[in-house]
Amino acid sequence: MELLLSKFSTLNHKQLAALDKKYGWSLNLLELEAAQRYFKKLKREPTRGELETIAQTWSEHCKHKTFSGPVKFRSGRKVKRYKNLFKETIVKATRRLNKQWCLSVFKDNAGVVEFGAGGKWALAFKAETHNHPCALEPYGGAETGVGGVVRDIMGVGLGAKPVLNTDIFCFGRLDSKMKLPKNALGARRIFDGVVEGVRDYGNRMGIPTAAGAVVFDDGYALNPLVFVGCAGIIPRDKIHKKVSPGELIVVIGGSTGRDGIHGATFSSANIAEDTSNSAVQIGHALNEKKALDVLLKARDKNLYSAVTDCGAGGFSSAIGELASECGAIVELEKAELKDTAIEPWEIWVSESQERMVFAVPPKNLKRLAEIADGENCGYCVLGRFTGDNKLRVTFKGESVVALDNAFLHGGIPNYEKNAVFLSPATCNLPPKKIKKPYHQVLKSILSHPNVCSRRSIVSQYDHEVQGGTVVKPFVGPGQNGPSDAAVIWPQAATGDMKDFSGFAAAHGINPAVGRINPYLMALYAADEAVRNLLCVGADITRTALLDNFCAGSPKDPQVMGGLVLAAEGCYAAAMGYGAPFISGKDSFYNQSTDAAGRQYPVPLTLLISAVAPVEDIRKSFSMNLKRPGNPIYLAGTARKGMGGSIYNELYPSGNNALSGLDIKDSFKLYKALLSAMRSGYVMAAHDISDGGFAAAAAEMAFGGDFGADLCPELCFAESGISETELLFGESPSRLLLEVDKKSESDFLSLVSSLQVAKAGYVNNRAELIIINARGKELVKEKNAGLLACWERDLL
Amino acid sequence: MKRPKALILRGSATNCDIETANAFAYAGACSDLAHINEFLSGKKSVLDYDILAFPGGFSYGDDISAGKIFSVKLEKIAAGLEKFIKDKRPVIGICNGFQIMVKAGLLPQNKGRARTATLFTNDCGHFLAKWIKLKVNTKSPCIFTRGLPSEIELPMAHGEGKFITRDSKTLATILKNNLHVLTYADNPNGSMADIAGICCVCGTVFGLMPHPERNFFSWQHPDRKKVKEALAVGYQFFKNAVEYVR
Amino acid sequence: MIIEIFTKGKYAKNEEAGFAKKLVLAGLKTNFLKVSKLYLIEGVYSGAEISRLACELLLDPITEDWLLKPRRCVGDNIYRVEIWLKNSVTDVVGQSVKEAVADMGLKGPKRCRFGRCLYVRASSELKLKHAVAKTLMNETVNYCEIIKV
Repeated sequence: MELLLSKFSTLNHKQLAALDKKYGWSLNLLELEAAQRYFKKLKREPTRGELETIAQTWSEHCKHKTFSGPVKFRSGRKVKRYKNLFKETIVKATRRLNKQWCLSVFKDNAGVVEFGAGGKWALAFKAETHNHPCALEPYGGAETGVGGVVRDIMGVGLGAKPVLNTDIFCFGRLDSKMKLPKNALGARRIFDGVVEGVRDYGNRMGIPTAAGAVVFDDGYALNPLVFVGCAGIIPRDKIHKKVSPGELIVVIGGSTGRDGIHGATFSSANIAEDTSNSAVQIGHALNEKKALDVLLKARDKNLYSAVTDCGAGGFSSAIGELASECGAIVELEKAELKDTAIEPWEIWVSESQERMVFAVPPKNLKRLAEIADGENCGYCVLGRFTGDNKLRVTFKGESVVALDNAFLHGGIPNYEKNAVFLSPATCNLPPKKIKKPYHQVLKSILSHPNVCSRRSIVSQYDHEVQGGTVVKPFVGPGQNGPSDAAVIWPQAATGDMKDFSGFAAAHGINPAVGRINPYLMALYAADEAVRNLLCVGADITRTALLDNFCAGSPKDPQVMGGLVLAAEGCYAAAMGYGAPFISGKDSFYNQSTDAAGRQYPVPLTLLISAVAPVEDIRKSFSMNLKRPGNPIYLAGTARKGMGGSIYNELYPSGNNALSGLDIKDSFKLYKALLSAMRSGYVMAAHDISDGGFAAAAAEMAFGGDFGADLCPELCFAESGISETELLFGESPSRLLLEVDKKSESDFLSLVSSLQVAKAGYVNNRAELIIINARGKELVKEKNAGLLACWERDLL
Repeated sequence: MKRPKALILRGSATNCDIETANAFAYAGACSDLAHINEFLSGKKSVLDYDILAFPGGFSYGDDISAGKIFSVKLEKIAAGLEKFIKDKRPVIGICNGFQIMVKAGLLPQNKGRARTATLFTNDCGHFLAKWIKLKVNTKSPCIFTRGLPSEIELPMAHGEGKFITRDSKTLATILKNNLHVLTYADNPNGSMADIAGICCVCGTVFGLMPHPERNFFSWQHPDRKKVKEALAVGYQFFKNAVEYVR
Repeated sequence: MIIEIFTKGKYAKNEEAGFAKKLVLAGLKTNFLKVSKLYLIEGVYSGAEISRLACELLLDPITEDWLLKPRRCVGDNIYRVEIWLKNSVTDVVGQSVKEAVADMGLKGPKRCRFGRCLYVRASSELKLKHAVAKTLMNETVNYCEIIKV
């Protein structure tokens, strides 16, 4: 192989492919040829380090070449071409919306928006996935996933203080009957390990993990998805970085070792049986916390002019990125090493965790070093930034890498991917009648793994550290009510206990809908995220979104077709809700070979995360019923279709249709509700999602000490809708609201022209009663009985 | 009025330091958030302060056992700490801070700082965060809990909070002298005698597992009723310390 | 040297039950299970220093005890299972111990590793190995050694 490397520029296709396989670069032929041309032009052969750098920089993980590449989408006879799918959908919405409160989008490690009154602060938000490592070593994979996204927030602008972690998991079903291949870990093992990893890392970092979701579906049996998100607070005047020639390259945090070679290229490849072990690491939260403490102190003393995290690609991408507009000289022998048995190029690309890279004016080095020493945090000076736009990396004087920025960052060839989408057949007949009485159906829905209580997970997270988790994952007198969103009051970041500015964070994810219609999946997910924010009283007219796509191989046109539709859905949703995307990430090749030797990809999955400001956290809302005698209103219209519902999973109804979603109407409704909430007319709000109307009503009831008497048939509904759809259908854009009896008429005058109707009253019997318009009891169940079904220990 | 100086003593991964400093500042103290290294190097001295707080968190990763490594570091400044305590200046350890104090032999109080108790892994075997009801021992000499009602709510968030004494004599002494300041209404971790927090005989040294700084304002409570009063029971802990030294 | 730390009998029930439950999930029922923590510390220390290391740093004197050799377990078909992180994998606890030893004023060890040790009754080594591999370790990051006591 060394021989092949020394003749790189003359290799034929077969030899190139062999070389790529041997070294695990995951570069395709086009890319390898581009590299060949480059070195031919330079009239020399590349070093191993140079090709490794190219492989890292051009990896799917770093470059997102699928999503930002050209696509040809065929739908029936129509063909639509995209030059850059991402820019022509998601980014386009952000550009067109052009919100002044968006301060930095799509360019830094995270999106940044304004925060609070007075223009002093900004909020950074980012979510990413760590799927492949979690499939192999769930604990370490989850830990390093959390560590990575936290570093993104630490590395945004000149560094933000993390104030909220989010975690969204997709696992195979715990009771799965699926036969797994020999090396695959079972869902239970992955679930346990991932929760422990998120717990141990997040808790040690002192960041509250207070928002999230878990979806169980056998589509994820071989490839779990682990989304980790982080929000941070940063001074408004510190959101930009600028490297100047002559500044020193300073690395703080953990040392560099052979662990974590090839993480970026690994995450851009299918999981194979012989996957290299070095791609999986164990996290070291203590080192990251030290680095965070040093960073914040140094930031507030203005000791550096740029920072970024070492993530995928290690130094090669972190320093490469910082130096992309100036150039750098790096002396690898100066790196702090874990062990000496490491090749120079390995130092350059190693993804050892918990490292941050700074650009430091030489005069500030001493003060930075003092801070690092004071926190027992390691640091080293690795070189300096230059002005010649060249990246020169040496080890004891010997050249390891000498590449032009223009080639490294602009030389990646791309090719058009084919996309098609064949919609599955849908049926809109009325749902089949079943013998099971409604109250039993409700109970089985409440105990469904995708609906039941997440307490056994959430209670393992220190979700109130920093003292600012105002709306917690569980609310109400007995902490039994599942919150729609978390509300964070970042007093530990601002240091100001008299400033009541906060923000809410929520999610929408619905792969079951995506199986039927990826476009609607995006709409539903965005709608759910916005509705969740509304339920806690956040200002939804200033919602900022993140997109996280996970899919199988982009070489499969059907996968690409789903992606195109979902991306178009994102565009429509962003425009409709006036909610720009500020950052996003995608993960492909989430597929493995199953026990029968077939390719088994995950269902196309889109997570939409959302944040919105809460002007005064003291006035935020919880979802549990508050006072007997208060009227309960249903906002929105119940529509036909049981597609993607929990009900359908338990009792296949024969109906898999999805209702459309009129974003314009929904947003108008939500804005009116927000003003009713701000006026103090509303006591509690809860969104209708998994499990439908009945499940949402049950949660509001057992979330507090009171019950409810309800008749959904009296509310707005599509004509001809069945009782099953009314009770358990999951059509979007609906909320339940408890209205203060004293303000009922004021409330009604605010929502008079909208689809808001009284569904019933809060009762003082701690019992949920749902009747139809003829007065027949459909559900009659004590809160305690409902709670007992819902309160299941998943762990 | 004089603002007493409160030292919020932190190490690596002491995570509840800022909110604890904020709480003392709000209650009228002048909070200084300082790293143990500054005291080990002799740059600062604990005796320059009026109040000492060991905040919660995962100091030094809680490796080996919770609070252990921090307590080993404290050995080097033990003389200063002992003088601080002898002067009856208030000391509070919250959660990880309590674990540190117990492992350093500062609580239960005894001559020579022998280890007479520990905080062991919860019976459930893992970290647990939830709101709990606590009984306040109104006969206790503790200066931090003065004026509190007999039952309060605070959140707990720990993996190693099971209070165990070395022998029955140690426990009997605690109970006899009403040094068990707080007890769990519904024991969440298996602690002996439901103990959630203890103090020294003169009531100035206090350690507890739950987090008073997280129920400082009414809006930090999970049951968001419309409360007129902004301050919650947690405030009283900090206010009492500040008033005691004034 | 390896310092073996174990929880005293009356406090060990929960932890043992937790491990036993995991093994049952992997198809191994056992009526004997004991757990220890292992600290491998490479360095030259006197007997008194080792004792200080164990008693003042590694051990909780209320709930734990220590030995410089494996525990004595009497009975048939009992195996000792040591689980360590591979040398290439970051050992967070080991690193902390290394630094803490220096904090105590002793000379810093060359290397520290943290491991777990189980004493389990099992009908066969193969069955045990399978159950351990399925639940308590991951061959991606761990290695284990099983010997019959």
